Amino acid sequence: MAVAHRTRHDGVMPVSVYLPVLFLIVVGSYLAWFRLDGLSERIRTGRWGLLLPILAVIYAAVSIPRYWFGFMVVSGACLIMLFRPRTATRLVPYGLLGLGLIEVVVARKASYGSIMFAGFQPPYLVAGAGGPGLAWFEALLCLAAGGWLFLRLRAPGSGLAEQTAHRLWQTRTSGILRGQEFLLLLPIVILLGLVAVHGAPGVALDVGAIAAALVMAFRFRLWAATLAAAGLLVIGGCGLHWAVTLGYGPGRWYGLAALGDHTFAYAGLQGLFLIALGLWLTPRVIGEQLGLPGKELAARAEQLTVRVETLTQTRSDAVDTAAAELRRIERDLHDGAQARLVALGMSLRAAEKLFKTSPEAALALVSEAKESSSKALTELRDLVRGIYPPVLADRGLADAVRALALDTPLHTVVDIDLPGEVEMPVGSAVYFAVAEILANAAKHSGARTIRIHLSHASETLRVQVTDDGAGGADPEQGTGLKGVERRLATFDGILAVSSPPGGPTIVVIEVPCASSSLKTSSC
Amino acid sequence: MRVVIAEDLFLLREGLVRLLQAHDFEIVAAVGTAPELLAALIDTKPDVGIVDVRLPPTNTDDGLRAAIAARKQRPGLPVLVLSQYVEQLYARELLADQQGGVGYLLKDRVFNDEAFAAAIRTVAAGGTVLDPEVVQKLLLKHTSTSPVTRLSPRERQVLALMAEGRSNAAIGQRLHITDKAVSKHAAGIFTKLDLPLSDDDNRRVLAVLAYLES
Repeated sequence: MAVAHRTRHDGVMPVSVYLPVLFLIVVGSYLAWFRLDGLSERIRTGRWGLLLPILAVIYAAVSIPRYWFGFMVVSGACLIMLFRPRTATRLVPYGLLGLGLIEVVVARKASYGSIMFAGFQPPYLVAGAGGPGLAWFEALLCLAAGGWLFLRLRAPGSGLAEQTAHRLWQTRTSGILRGQEFLLLLPIVILLGLVAVHGAPGVALDVGAIAAALVMAFRFRLWAATLAAAGLLVIGGCGLHWAVTLGYGPGRWYGLAALGDHTFAYAGLQGLFLIALGLWLTPRVIGEQLGLPGKELAARAEQLTVRVETLTQTRSDAVDTAAAELRRIERDLHDGAQARLVALGMSLRAAEKLFKTSPEAALALVSEAKESSSKALTELRDLVRGIYPPVLADRGLADAVRALALDTPLHTVVDIDLPGEVEMPVGSAVYFAVAEILANAAKHSGARTIRIHLSHASETLRVQVTDDGAGGADPEQGTGLKGVERRLATFDGILAVSSPPGGPTIVVIEVPCASSSLKTSSC
Repeated sequence: MRVVIAEDLFLLREGLVRLLQAHDFEIVAAVGTAPELLAALIDTKPDVGIVDVRLPPTNTDDGLRAAIAARKQRPGLPVLVLSQYVEQLYARELLADQQGGVGYLLKDRVFNDEAFAAAIRTVAAGGTVLDPEVVQKLLLKHTSTSPVTRLSPRERQVLALMAEGRSNAAIGQRLHITDKAVSKHAAGIFTKLDLPLSDDDNRRVLAVLAYLES
């Protein structure tokens, strides 16, 4: 930070004299203490604290015309840095933010041509030659660096600030409201303050307007963005107008350019830039105000379209599967149990007739009838198992899978981690899937051991079946697994097969299954 | 012999009562729900309970649960469980207490009333009677880790028939070998399965259990 020393003021020690002295004090004491045990460690832990004396020097130069006071400030900062490094670190962000605010005041003064105040020369580049543009730049730099350090070093109060910012950020909804366009309102308000408000109340008005803009930007984003668009167009237009007509006279500033002198072209450029920004923002704001679909909505619509296609496909599959199931049940009943019951009735009727004339023949027929009823029962039992396995109805999925494992002719290891019960349709689909996988493994794999792992985690029901067989299974061949896949797809479930030649074969089923559908088991 | 019957379908319950009375069983209670069954099994102290797996109130496996609960209170209380379908899982649960006096049959077996009555008597005497369908599934299982694999094919046949609750004489008849040969096979089975020396009935139960867990 360079220091201007154009003017001397009586009773004030020249900045050029005391600054190097103070700096030597800082460096000297730092080096003197550096080698002392423990201190170097402390300083290392509070590295950012080294900035504190430098800030103190600037403060001394900026705001205090009495050199003894400046000396005290700088010495105090040095002592804090050396003996309370953590405190020094925490003070640095506040020091920077304070400097930033002071420079805002200086820049405003400079903007209105009165750079002298309180009887001394503000020792900034801008005060001498740079003009308010550089003053604003310095102010923004200090505020940005201070803000960053404030959060980075977790200075006191930073937690609260972060929480507040987070809460405000959370209110974002969609479309333009998710972007940061609304933040454009802030420079508009600041520029407006510079252009329109003169004199001492200007700072207070600025602060008030910025606060109002902040509240608006975060609570009513759409209106903030709308105002920003309008502001950009109006102020940009003004800049262009002033640049062309030079109506505002020398000594007035528009943004970073002085009006009326040879830099008026910059004002024009700034105006054009603001208008361009306004033109970019306006259609977005209008689209949002009228409720036209934005990019986000379009993407969402596409997602929904894909989802609807998937649902249509799986629903059609589900309907087909259900119809085929009903057809199979009808055929099984018609050809099986029903036919046997007819035969049974006929045998009994014939036995009834033969009972008096030929009791032995009647007995043989009754025996046949008994056989028939037994077979009908067996067929009905198999049919019921295929519709909804009784053990699944009685005990739920975990025990049904255990029962399946027991009925598998191979050695099985079952590991089940299911803290409740899944919904009936999902449980049924998963049961038949596992049954099909086990049947395939028993038939084709040549495995000795099958491991079944059933678990429920992160809203997903997962079954993994691993066999130590020869591998090389192709899920594309055979209709069994395809059918299983279709049935699982109805519940957005998936089936994956890994079966390299030489094995092992791993089949994984995953079905999304919200924990709400997991009821506490009654056992 | 005093019998408790639990069956929720009225027609079947009455049929069972009539069938068992014809075979000189004394029916001390015929109930239709699991809580009634549990009370009857504990209070009337029957020689054997005949229980349908599926009973009210939940119409799932309440009968089976009630039977197992009753055997917890009265260890070894003989129960013969009937069901429209058989599961190895349920057979294991019934036999898990290693007390014997357990039967598990398909309801169809009632058709053969003599065999059914014989099964009831075997169970009442502390034996084990598993449905041939359960045993059939056990025979299909060929795992390499269980001690059952040490048995010779003949011994496995004998063990399967043992699990169905048949006596040595009946096994001999079925396999066309002498009683003595059956006894020899049985002794071989007990040795190979590392079953402790105890009375024959109990060892038969343990052998069947080892078979189930193969």
